[in-house]
Amino acid sequence: MRFTRGLGFSLLALGVALCASLALGAGDVTPLQVLRWVLGDDDGNAGFVVTELRLPRSCVGIVVGAALGVAGNLLQTVTRNPLAEPDLLGVSAASTTAVVIAILLGASVTTLQVWVAVLGAMCGCALVLAAARLRGVGDDPIRLILAGAALKGVLTALVSLVLLLDQRSADEIRFWTIGALAGRGYQELLGVAAPLLLGVLLVAFLSRPLAALALGERVASGLGHRPRLTRWLTLLAVALLSGVAVALAGPIAFFGLVVPVLARALVGPDIRRTLPLCVLLGPAVLLAADVVARLLVRPSELPLGVVTAVIGAPVLVAVVRAHRLPRL
Amino acid sequence: MMQRLGARAGANRRQGPGPGRGGTSRSDLSPRDAWLLRWRGHSLLLPRRSLLGLAWLLLGLVVVFIASLSIGSMPLAPQRVIAALFGSGDPLDIYLVRELRLGRLGAALASGAGFALSGCLLQTLTRNRLAMPDIIGINNGATAFAVASIVALPMSFAPPMLALVGAVTATALTFALAGGVGVRGYRFIIVGVGIGAVFGALTNLMLARTSIDAANAAFPWTVGSLNGSGAGAQIMLWIGLAVCLPLAMASTRGLSSLRFAEPVALGWGVRVARLRLFALALAVICAALAVAVAGPVGMIALIGPELARRLSSHRSVPVLNAALAGAMLMALADLLGRTLLAPVEVPVGIVTALVGGPYLIWILLRGDSPRAL
Repeated sequence: MRFTRGLGFSLLALGVALCASLALGAGDVTPLQVLRWVLGDDDGNAGFVVTELRLPRSCVGIVVGAALGVAGNLLQTVTRNPLAEPDLLGVSAASTTAVVIAILLGASVTTLQVWVAVLGAMCGCALVLAAARLRGVGDDPIRLILAGAALKGVLTALVSLVLLLDQRSADEIRFWTIGALAGRGYQELLGVAAPLLLGVLLVAFLSRPLAALALGERVASGLGHRPRLTRWLTLLAVALLSGVAVALAGPIAFFGLVVPVLARALVGPDIRRTLPLCVLLGPAVLLAADVVARLLVRPSELPLGVVTAVIGAPVLVAVVRAHRLPRL
Repeated sequence: MMQRLGARAGANRRQGPGPGRGGTSRSDLSPRDAWLLRWRGHSLLLPRRSLLGLAWLLLGLVVVFIASLSIGSMPLAPQRVIAALFGSGDPLDIYLVRELRLGRLGAALASGAGFALSGCLLQTLTRNRLAMPDIIGINNGATAFAVASIVALPMSFAPPMLALVGAVTATALTFALAGGVGVRGYRFIIVGVGIGAVFGALTNLMLARTSIDAANAAFPWTVGSLNGSGAGAQIMLWIGLAVCLPLAMASTRGLSSLRFAEPVALGWGVRVARLRLFALALAVICAALAVAVAGPVGMIALIGPELARRLSSHRSVPVLNAALAGAMLMALADLLGRTLLAPVEVPVGIVTALVGGPYLIWILLRGDSPRAL
């Protein structure tokens, strides 16, 4: 019952966000014009803006939001840490660094980029897992976050070094490293289809073993699952999904933290229920943030990463301030 | 009970009139690892290890000082540097050393000392070795405001003043949202990470929205660099250090009581709340002025106090040693940044992040040590 209600709410939120994303924008095509175009009034301008600019952008937003929401949820479950998130743990930063180095070495923004991003995210994930399993750092949510912050610091310094040494790439990279959806379309979506599909398949197979793992390692083994394998495969899925997100939109701060928190608030901690909800809520929140980014400083746009950082910081504070960190 | 505790704590320090008169001597009452200095009824206990550490740090500082003045696009022999420093020798040398290199070295030393002093105070305050101005958002807050003064506002506002305002804003936000320093400072630190991320995003936003030229001008500054530091900011930093360092040294005894549980410190007569606020204020001022000179250089605030702690007796909070270690490390990092990839100059913030980040991760992974300050 609770699950159905949560699902309904998320669907509604996604619908509203999608409509807003199609109807509102930084340009001067108003919602009224869009409505008239939908009702059949032949307005070439509105039609062009909606089908050629806002629709592809919204599609990219949906993919990025779903990927990041699911990746955040997986990462929180597997590290048993309510603060874990691809950006805070440095996974996104690792991915970004890999792409920046690829650009520096001469790769242009093509399909190659997504695999480079996935590879970088994998390295980041492996580091996170190593850190989490080493001497029980995983039991201490906050030390893991600090390790992530340190990793992020090192990688950001590397990217800065690259930007400094190579002015040519600097302008290409700078806007992208903040996180933005602008200027992405079907072409890029097609490029990330393969890793995205792979990640989705993995997640589909992983939800049951992960739910068992949440009961504890021994119980999971007793139920016939293999915790170690589950953990590695989960991190592979996280790497695939956050690599896709980074390749499409750059690193987006705090996003993987907000969505699972929302989902758990709606349907409780069971991952078999939160995962489908994240798929719906992720795009809803991302599209909403994107609309805000478009509207706030019209006629130009805010980078999306700025908006999500401003939304996510209060959530982080709220999670930390919660009397007892929720057990996962 | 409390009074007796206090009296015993005092007895370690106050020696009664003893047989030795003038000069140094050791009585049975003095701790083993300290020298006792007496003069006409006054006595002073000098911790041996800390003094040795101080000597080592001063030696290192002198070496880095000379090396930093002699190495550059036009290398000079050390003896010529020393001669030029004292005003004798070749006029070109004097110009090079005194006018060009000394200013930059001064900025490095002062900002390093400021960061490390700030880190030392914050670490004592939160009882957590990992608290430092760049992690808890002070640096990002200061940077955001300073960049705003360059990029978004008319030039009439001085970046150092705004950096101070930004640092205070960020700290106040963190303090309020975390609800105080808390147990072991972890909550304070994580909330600080969040606040820092917001200010970092705002900085990025301002840089992305301005013209490429302005962004390029501000970019080396935002990663932490000594390249464009103005003389005015540096003077303010030196004044700030001259005020804050003695104040911090004077409150060392109170600070060291913060390492114990609050009731214990209260029992010793330390006004804990007031002392915390005072130390926090000193830490924020130092970090903000240092950011105004050098930009958000990270990790000096972690490694400086760490080095000082290694070189000091563990009874006290090594305020002075931390500041000296920070100054030395900053000058060293700047020297490395200037010379490693030589014609290209690597900003000092990148050098410290690349060296200090792995060190921080190592501390975190090494096990239970971060809990023990």
